[in-house]
Amino acid sequence: MSASPRRAVITGIGIISPIGLDAASYWRSLLEGRSGIRPIQAFDASGLPVRIAGEIPHFNAKDYLEKEQRKSLRVMARTIQLAVAGAQRALDDGKVDKSKLDPTRFGVEFGAGLIATELNDLIEAACVSANCQPGRVDLEKWGEQGIPLIQPLWMLKYLPNMLACHISILHDARGPNNSITESDVASLLALGEAYRILLRDQADFFLVGGAESKINPLSMVRQCLFECLSRRNDEPTRACRPFDRGRDGLVLGEGAGVFVVEDLEHARRRGAHIYAEIVGFGAAFDPGMRGDGLARAIRAALTEAGIEPHEVDHINAHGLSTPESDAWEARGLHEIFGDCSPPVPVFAAKSYIGNLGAGGSTTELAASVLAMSKGLVPPTLNYEQADPDCPVVVLSQQPRPMTRPYVVKVSFTQMGQCAAMVVRQWN
Amino acid sequence: MRRRVVITGMGAITPLGHNVRETIEAQLQGQNGVGPIESFDASRFPTKFAAQVKDFDLARFIPNCQRWAHSGINSQFAAAAAQEALQHAGLLHDDRVDRNRFGVYLGSGEGIQDFHNLLSWIYQAYRRETRQLDTAVFERGALSVFHPERESEQELHTTPAHLAAHFDLRGPNYNCLTACAASSQAVGEATELIRHGDADLMLVGGAHSMIHPFGVTGFNLLTALSTRNDAPEKASRPFDLHRDGFVLGEGAAMLVLEELEHAKRRGADILAEVTGYGSTADAFRVTDSHPDGRGAIACMEAALKDSRLNLSDIGYINAHGTSTKVNDSVETLAIKKVFGDLAYRIPVSSTKSMMGHLIAAAGAMELITCVEVLRRGVMPPTINYETPDPECDLDYIPRTAREKRVQHALSNSFGFGGQNIALIVSRFAG
Repeated sequence: MSASPRRAVITGIGIISPIGLDAASYWRSLLEGRSGIRPIQAFDASGLPVRIAGEIPHFNAKDYLEKEQRKSLRVMARTIQLAVAGAQRALDDGKVDKSKLDPTRFGVEFGAGLIATELNDLIEAACVSANCQPGRVDLEKWGEQGIPLIQPLWMLKYLPNMLACHISILHDARGPNNSITESDVASLLALGEAYRILLRDQADFFLVGGAESKINPLSMVRQCLFECLSRRNDEPTRACRPFDRGRDGLVLGEGAGVFVVEDLEHARRRGAHIYAEIVGFGAAFDPGMRGDGLARAIRAALTEAGIEPHEVDHINAHGLSTPESDAWEARGLHEIFGDCSPPVPVFAAKSYIGNLGAGGSTTELAASVLAMSKGLVPPTLNYEQADPDCPVVVLSQQPRPMTRPYVVKVSFTQMGQCAAMVVRQWN
Repeated sequence: MRRRVVITGMGAITPLGHNVRETIEAQLQGQNGVGPIESFDASRFPTKFAAQVKDFDLARFIPNCQRWAHSGINSQFAAAAAQEALQHAGLLHDDRVDRNRFGVYLGSGEGIQDFHNLLSWIYQAYRRETRQLDTAVFERGALSVFHPERESEQELHTTPAHLAAHFDLRGPNYNCLTACAASSQAVGEATELIRHGDADLMLVGGAHSMIHPFGVTGFNLLTALSTRNDAPEKASRPFDLHRDGFVLGEGAAMLVLEELEHAKRRGADILAEVTGYGSTADAFRVTDSHPDGRGAIACMEAALKDSRLNLSDIGYINAHGTSTKVNDSVETLAIKKVFGDLAYRIPVSSTKSMMGHLIAAAGAMELITCVEVLRRGVMPPTINYETPDPECDLDYIPRTAREKRVQHALSNSFGFGGQNIALIVSRFAG
């Protein structure tokens, strides 16, 4: 409600994804309709009911760090490595000269989730203490002999705030630093918060994003127990099918999506290329998953942007690909956009990369930000048969030209936490 | 003019009590909440004690508490503290407030992992001959023994989601986890949400318990915990020369933040005003804070600037004061750098001396303590402060509470990894 003369613009995109290890290759895959969902190869997944994921086959964190920084990789779980790599790519893409930034006005905001321990870290300790009776650790043995067998910095490798911490250390970012841990909506909330901090003049420059990898044995076991995962093990590229009638569950993916977001004047002073402007944000809770909470978040974002629903080119959907979630998302979207003619279509990036969890929102939004600069929106994969429970028009089959200057990104959790953002094309 | 944010309700579950009143009265009496770990056999751990919440049963606080049946103790603490805070604010069943404008922002920790089954299946899946883990064996085993709901409830967004669903809070909903700064950061960012107009009311705070085998293991490996096993009640001794690490605590602390005019319109009891918030990063090391305290200095300065107060207005500081060698000396240095000579005249205490370190929940609890200092005119002591450390030479309110009329109080929280948060609360002056 407070009028601010400051404006927040996106000036760099860093993507580490199953379909490309930078923004350019990510975009190429989107245009070519290339899915990143494949059989899991990182480990033997044959004991799981789900053996497909959006895995990144050739990721080496060393490629993204200076030689003297590489020793810190030992204390970074894969999720943290993905985040650090994404942040570096965002700075590269934004052609940022770090020596020209004021460290005290340089913030970091990340979406993050629980990070599962690597099983190998605990083998030795398990072998001396869990060998007596099944399902029981001998805590005396664990305390006396087990603990000394674990590497001293073990816990730090898995703390969710370490994505933003390592990034702040690597790039000397001493401004506001937060880690939003709100499942699949985390990185959109982080982006919204950074946007607000920029507008209220408490920072000039931000690395904002999210990262997550659940493609490891412990996380996969946990997800199989409580998530509705697609069982299309035999046709991985067809498994993630948002809003399609034949959808049967979500597909896990891994990766990072990171933006450079800065105050417009700051961007102009350093001669940055501007992709887009963030113009509206809203968040809400949807208690019964009826869609009204999602609609409230969208309405708040549109109101802040000062636009009407029909001015939106497309909706960058959550599009989880579970039977229930897509239906309630569609109800929420319909409540806002249902009267628009021509209809405002939806694009669902998860159809390419799966669900990146805390890294999902920003990675997905990057597709629309790139679409704005290219004037072309990629199609959603696997949308073949309309579902009467999902009253939305899905962009599919082939790319379509951008016709209007605004995109709305929505994300939510399956417990009802929702967020929406309006991004405006820059010209 | 920007919207002003006031506190209209508070709730707490801590090692010192099952509500705010019990906790604060225990603090003012200098009581100690530290004792041997009872929730698991820690007899051979390097640290065998902690500050635990005693005799907690959620059903005594919330009769229809089925939704938390499989939740971790962290979420259960959160529920009980939220119930108290909302009741205190008169907002439990108040249809006159727009629930769409009432959000949640927590700095809350994770649920507790299935330690025994996880380790057991790592052991059973390990193949000595190949010195490799057979992950397929692990997968089948873990799938057969892990409890689906309990696994799901470990996730970090579940705590604020349950509160929103149970108490019908349909506004913006967040959780952040910036280690020991988390719930302070939640208070600060929620204040900004209200100032900006995203909400009129926010339930804020944190909940955490790391008093479990993995938690104690992790902190012991970092040598961050006190190992004073022969005298646990003396272990948390912030600023004392012989401090040797922090003591794990657990619990939850919740506050209701409300836009001032909204609070006035409904005739709410205004407990204090949130006047300053500062947030910075050390950007130094994942294991240590910056030796000059640059991030701590910057966050206190940012909070003071935000509050538009003078240095001399601050009458009390609730320190982060963990009782580790480095934190307490760097925090002292930072306070002196910010306040100059005035620093010696501002009483500083660490309530972690009595209740241990509530990790993610610590900051919100310490802010409640600050609010009660403003209301009661009594400052809690730093207990176990016996031998001065030349590097820590401020007035730490040793051992016994002290009366003082305080208008503005500052609370520091510094997270592992370098997030620094300072908050300022003020007596509500109309």
